[in-house]
Amino acid sequence: MKHLTWLSTLTAALLGWTAAAASGSPAPAAMQVENRAVPAVRALPTAPPNLPKWLSNTRRNHIFIRRGRYNFDVYRIDRLARDLNAVSVGHAMAYEDLVTGRAGGLETDTFARIDRVLKNPPRFMPDEAAISPTFARTYGVLEQVFDWTHILHAQTVDVLASADLTEKQKEREIERLWQYYFDTVPYAITPLPMNMDYLYTFPYSRKFRNTYPKVNGLFWGYHWLQGAMYDLLYRVSPQDQQAGYAVIGEQYRKVELYLTDRYFMPMFAEVSPAFASRFPHIANAFDNLHMLHDMVNDILATEWLNERQKAEQVKLAIWMVSAEAHRGEKPGSEAAERLHDHRHFVGMPGMGIMTGMSPELMWMPSMGWMNMSDCHHCSMPLWSGKDEWRNPTVSADGWSMRIRCPLCARDMSAETKGRALLRIPTEDPERVALVISDEQGNLKTSSPGLIFIESEDTHIGCDEWSRAFTSRAAFDAYVKATPKLAGARALTFGEWAVKEGHKPDTYVKPKGPVENPYSSIVGPDMGKATSKEGAQR
Amino acid sequence: MSRGTLLQLAVTAIALIALPAAAVDHNNIDARRPLSFDDADSLAYREQALEFGLGLGLTRRRALGIGMAAEYLYGYQMNSHLSVGLDPTFGGRARDRDTRFDLGAVSVGWLRNFNRQHGRTPAFALRADLLAPTGIGGRGVGFRLRGIATRQAGRYGRAHLNLDLNGNPGAGGGERDLHGAIVLGYSRPLGYPTRFATTGLAELSVRQGEDQGTGPGMGVGLGLRKQVGVLSVVDVGLQTDLVGWKGSPRDRVRFVVGYSRGF
Repeated sequence: MKHLTWLSTLTAALLGWTAAAASGSPAPAAMQVENRAVPAVRALPTAPPNLPKWLSNTRRNHIFIRRGRYNFDVYRIDRLARDLNAVSVGHAMAYEDLVTGRAGGLETDTFARIDRVLKNPPRFMPDEAAISPTFARTYGVLEQVFDWTHILHAQTVDVLASADLTEKQKEREIERLWQYYFDTVPYAITPLPMNMDYLYTFPYSRKFRNTYPKVNGLFWGYHWLQGAMYDLLYRVSPQDQQAGYAVIGEQYRKVELYLTDRYFMPMFAEVSPAFASRFPHIANAFDNLHMLHDMVNDILATEWLNERQKAEQVKLAIWMVSAEAHRGEKPGSEAAERLHDHRHFVGMPGMGIMTGMSPELMWMPSMGWMNMSDCHHCSMPLWSGKDEWRNPTVSADGWSMRIRCPLCARDMSAETKGRALLRIPTEDPERVALVISDEQGNLKTSSPGLIFIESEDTHIGCDEWSRAFTSRAAFDAYVKATPKLAGARALTFGEWAVKEGHKPDTYVKPKGPVENPYSSIVGPDMGKATSKEGAQR
Repeated sequence: MSRGTLLQLAVTAIALIALPAAAVDHNNIDARRPLSFDDADSLAYREQALEFGLGLGLTRRRALGIGMAAEYLYGYQMNSHLSVGLDPTFGGRARDRDTRFDLGAVSVGWLRNFNRQHGRTPAFALRADLLAPTGIGGRGVGFRLRGIATRQAGRYGRAHLNLDLNGNPGAGGGERDLHGAIVLGYSRPLGYPTRFATTGLAELSVRQGEDQGTGPGMGVGLGLRKQVGVLSVVDVGLQTDLVGWKGSPRDRVRFVVGYSRGF
């Protein structure tokens, strides 16, 4: 042992290295911010007593993805995979600059750095903690929550992008992934709809959006993509997924990333209503995750909070959206304490209530007031319950709407500007036809052999007289089983695509309590404005 | 082990390398991939990994030496992993004149991460390996204990301190039954803020001589780890023993190439 003497001397010297870590290393610049005067605003939310220990854990707690033959199948749609890789870089760069005293350059240097990556997305998913090491060691539990839910994001997309699994297998695996996500760790996000208005009315709320609109626009652009990709992939053939991402990806890269004046983050069900209605718990968890991102952004951007207050508020924000905070509570239930208000929109259990809205009426910037359980083209009730999958959707100009029949989908897309994606279910739940509308309204599809029925009448019955089929035989069987449609003509896709229906006789424009529920909060300076980078395109 | 078996192992290793890329992040550092230090992170819970390496060593006044390394790792619980490794060699080596094939010690290891880096506290881990006497002249079960600390160094870099205590209970005459080492490693992602797939590594090591009467040796190394698939990394490294005091045996230079794949 005496031979180790020299070694122990050297060891003692190097141990000073770790001790230096406790005293000599520079603190994150953000930690050096003085506690500035708190403006006269409402009081900060306070944490309940006895917060669970996991909120203060100092372990690494990395968990590997659930094994599956579908893992990384998102790379089948290579550009989508790369765009998602760039999203991780964008999140990490902004967070690192926020906590290292570089917030002043967020709208210039940081934005430019992120934008360069978004335009040249990396081939592989980067380790976010390596890009934002100071953020990761300052907010390690938050990083765990983000990472774990991002894994759910990534794996559900892998399942949907799989070319090997049937649609039934995909649905079963998505439920298994949810259980794996929910049961494995204590820091899962709640699957309940949350009152978004409540979560956006703290003293620090909107600070990031109002101070750093361009970088906030990027964040909300990422969240748009992370929502919109689901309906693009859900029940859509691998070939159509590729074609669809050409449209969705362009919308993301040219428009959605650079919008600087959204009133609120894109909600999952606003961009993927079909998936959200089938998996409302997952849609809610993703919205709640994205809301957590916004709350953290606002907290970190609030200069009158000191570092201790920021740490406390971040911890509290995690707690508010955690599954544990809402154990035993039910979707749809209203509570006097708004944190526990889990009402959702009628017909859309995958979306929590937002500012100035009620369960009956939802509002979207370019669409106005609407009822989420009715067709947005003819106002008749959408398919519901076990038949919910029969609702077509139309995606255009950044929004997606559920529609009652193929005619409504086609005609609604013709009324919108730019390209559109129409998801049209057939008689086979496993086959949704993806139809792409170009700038001029010309429709095309790569689904072969589609047959349509369109015996136009009052829209009270459009769910019967307007349908799509995978084959002539399926059409004939349907007509035979529906005597009132006897003699109806079978339309090829080409014949159907050039038709135009009458204005629906049943359409009623819902009227809300005010024109714009957000105008009193964020001012009237809204529209479809984009940052310079977006406008140049 | 026959040369045929060896060849088979090599072919298997190459076949695995040729699998569709799908392992392991370039920024996570395991010993020998490609340098001699570990970072304080364990494998993720339920993750498995295979790591292969091939090393060429030029030793003073010896024939060219070839070393291989294969290791299987399994994250058996949160923040901990187990490993099984094999280090066969043949050709010239620093400590003796024998150039026959040597299976080397079969090792079983355990790594436990105690904490992530938080605030100003480094991440700490302990690694323990048992070494079965399966190599030429092997006697008794050897062990290695390694204390690991990792902390942020600079904007993106990380510094890694490894303190080793190696035990050789079957040490023959003239050999030390305990000897230590210190390795100071540094890793830093290369290419930020436009590229995110490569990490550069450097190390400075001081090792006590394994033979009584010999002094310590000091070595340096440089390496690269590059992500080549979603879960796979290729690494290359160059190490040399700069100084060997009091007759400490040393390699002139070692070149290492490796591949890691997570699954």
